[in-house]
Amino acid sequence: MLNSQDRFSVLFTAVRTVTFALSMVSSSFAQETAQIDFVSIGRGAPLLVDANQAQLTGSTMRTMAGFGPGSPREFTGGAPAGETPPGIEPLPVDIFTSKDFYQDRELWSDPRYFRCNSPAALEDLWGANRSSLIGDNPPVTAAWGLCDRDYPRAAIVSPYQFKTAQEHYKALLEETTSRGGPTKHTYETVPGEWTGRYMHPGRTPGNWYWYRMRHNQMPTILSLLTPEYQTRMVQEAYHHANTNAAQWPSSYCWPEGFMRRWHEAAVWDHYIMVTPKAVQILAGVVRNFITTVHIGREFNLEGRIPRLGADVPRWYGETIGFWDEDALITWTSNIQGWKNHAAPEFSNAMQTVEIYSPNYDENGQFKGLNHEAIFYDPESLVEPVRIVRNYLKLSDFDEGEPYTFVECVQSIFPQEGRATSMSPGQVIEYEIPDMYGRPWAHLWEEYFEKEMEVPVEEDIFSFE
Amino acid sequence: MNSSSSRLISAGSVIINSLMATAVLLITIPTSQAHHSFAMYNMGKITTFTGVVTRVDPNPNHLQVFFAPMNEDRKNVERDEDGDPVLWAVEMGGSAMMAREGISVNSFPRGTVFSISMHPLRNGENAGAMEGGLFQCPEKTPPAPGMHCDSVEGSKQFFGKPLEAEK
Repeated sequence: MLNSQDRFSVLFTAVRTVTFALSMVSSSFAQETAQIDFVSIGRGAPLLVDANQAQLTGSTMRTMAGFGPGSPREFTGGAPAGETPPGIEPLPVDIFTSKDFYQDRELWSDPRYFRCNSPAALEDLWGANRSSLIGDNPPVTAAWGLCDRDYPRAAIVSPYQFKTAQEHYKALLEETTSRGGPTKHTYETVPGEWTGRYMHPGRTPGNWYWYRMRHNQMPTILSLLTPEYQTRMVQEAYHHANTNAAQWPSSYCWPEGFMRRWHEAAVWDHYIMVTPKAVQILAGVVRNFITTVHIGREFNLEGRIPRLGADVPRWYGETIGFWDEDALITWTSNIQGWKNHAAPEFSNAMQTVEIYSPNYDENGQFKGLNHEAIFYDPESLVEPVRIVRNYLKLSDFDEGEPYTFVECVQSIFPQEGRATSMSPGQVIEYEIPDMYGRPWAHLWEEYFEKEMEVPVEEDIFSFE
Repeated sequence: MNSSSSRLISAGSVIINSLMATAVLLITIPTSQAHHSFAMYNMGKITTFTGVVTRVDPNPNHLQVFFAPMNEDRKNVERDEDGDPVLWAVEMGGSAMMAREGISVNSFPRGTVFSISMHPLRNGENAGAMEGGLFQCPEKTPPAPGMHCDSVEGSKQFFGKPLEAEK
């Protein structure tokens, strides 16, 4: 129990944090890409559309003000539960009425199949994030999003010419070399002002980006994916929107996965430490995320996937990097493929080039970091995509909450295919998951897809 | 040579021998640096399988290979009464250590045919701890009926050891 002094302290800290954040909003994110004074071959390209200026697609009870107790909840969408938007003709079958989404493939490119809901809205409809818009005859009565809104595909795909992360990183290294770099920092010259605490990116005001999946139509996201990964994403959307059988990995204390770093609800405050030979980015929510950028090292290019250590896929990959003055340019590889709810699955072929650049205010004071990431995954993506966001520095390490190392202890278990809270002493039947074989999909297929024509896997057992 | 330098050389030899012995143990007996008890396995019994890999699990305890044992004629796998493949697990060394030996998610994809000896679980369930060598058959090339991958031309040997005799 907190005493009154503790409660005041917590309240004071919270108010101070929010006040600080709000005071930074106007100047923090007027720009969306890095402030660099030359045109680079592979970083800092302007965004075609700033997501902070785009509108939510809905349907949702969120606002552009985002999370937090001060955010008023109001309906954004085309039609509330049980109604149809004026001027929109519903499809005869959609994700809310279909008995077999696999057979509807030709409809997946029509936003009406998803009732114009964004991927995140589809997961919200049954109340996944506390507000329900599913109606009194679910799922048939699900609400509609706004069919005339979408974050454009052209603003999502990479603006750079590179086909692989390796090619991209090499070009940036050559560019830096031509500029007299890479910069060899010492403890005296390394940008120590980076070291400190940064606000949860998903809760930082003015920090919307497309991967938060609230400004998009589903078909736009599907158009970025290979056919197999389109199927996987629609499968999840179906079980969010229709069967209400969400399988979010952290529900079960399963690994969070690499792409979870960009999920709006994941990874809270970031703790960044900068040294000449390594930069560490520490964050967490249900699991711990540690990105160590190994400065000046090179990947072992033998084998299928570039890597630093042994030929073992790592949940959060391995990262190398170099400095171009005060910009940190990195390449991450050897990532374990996984999922991120309301977003596409990704494969072991995923690699990224990520650039961290300082943001300064009008007085030249350091405010935080711009984080530009380009994703290369030829198994899941038909072309590379880019996410640009910002980290707002809260303080140095001599104040504020310390990082809390997370140990997830499972209290939710799948029961009849649904994530279910359990209590000590309850006895349950439990099937050991095949963790590297899409265990979420196994649950869906076992409990909800028996009457569907599920794609058949290749027979690996017959040698006739 | 005086007695103190003799003792130094002797001590150095002991250290070098100890390090070599440790290295050999790390490579050949992956259970020696375990994170859990291996007493669940019957160390007095050895079974040898040829099977088809269904999954390589590089979990932080020890690398696990899940597989379906092949039937006697090596044309398919053993099946249960429902016709589903019978699955076994074999626990090996740490994932990084095994990867350095060439055994990884990337080198043993689904469908790989391999042969291995193991100490089975004492309770009779379908799992065991690796013992001895491991042979990987060439892609989509199982051995002749009743044989193992060590009999197939072009097969790959791991750990430099033969398959163990069953006991």
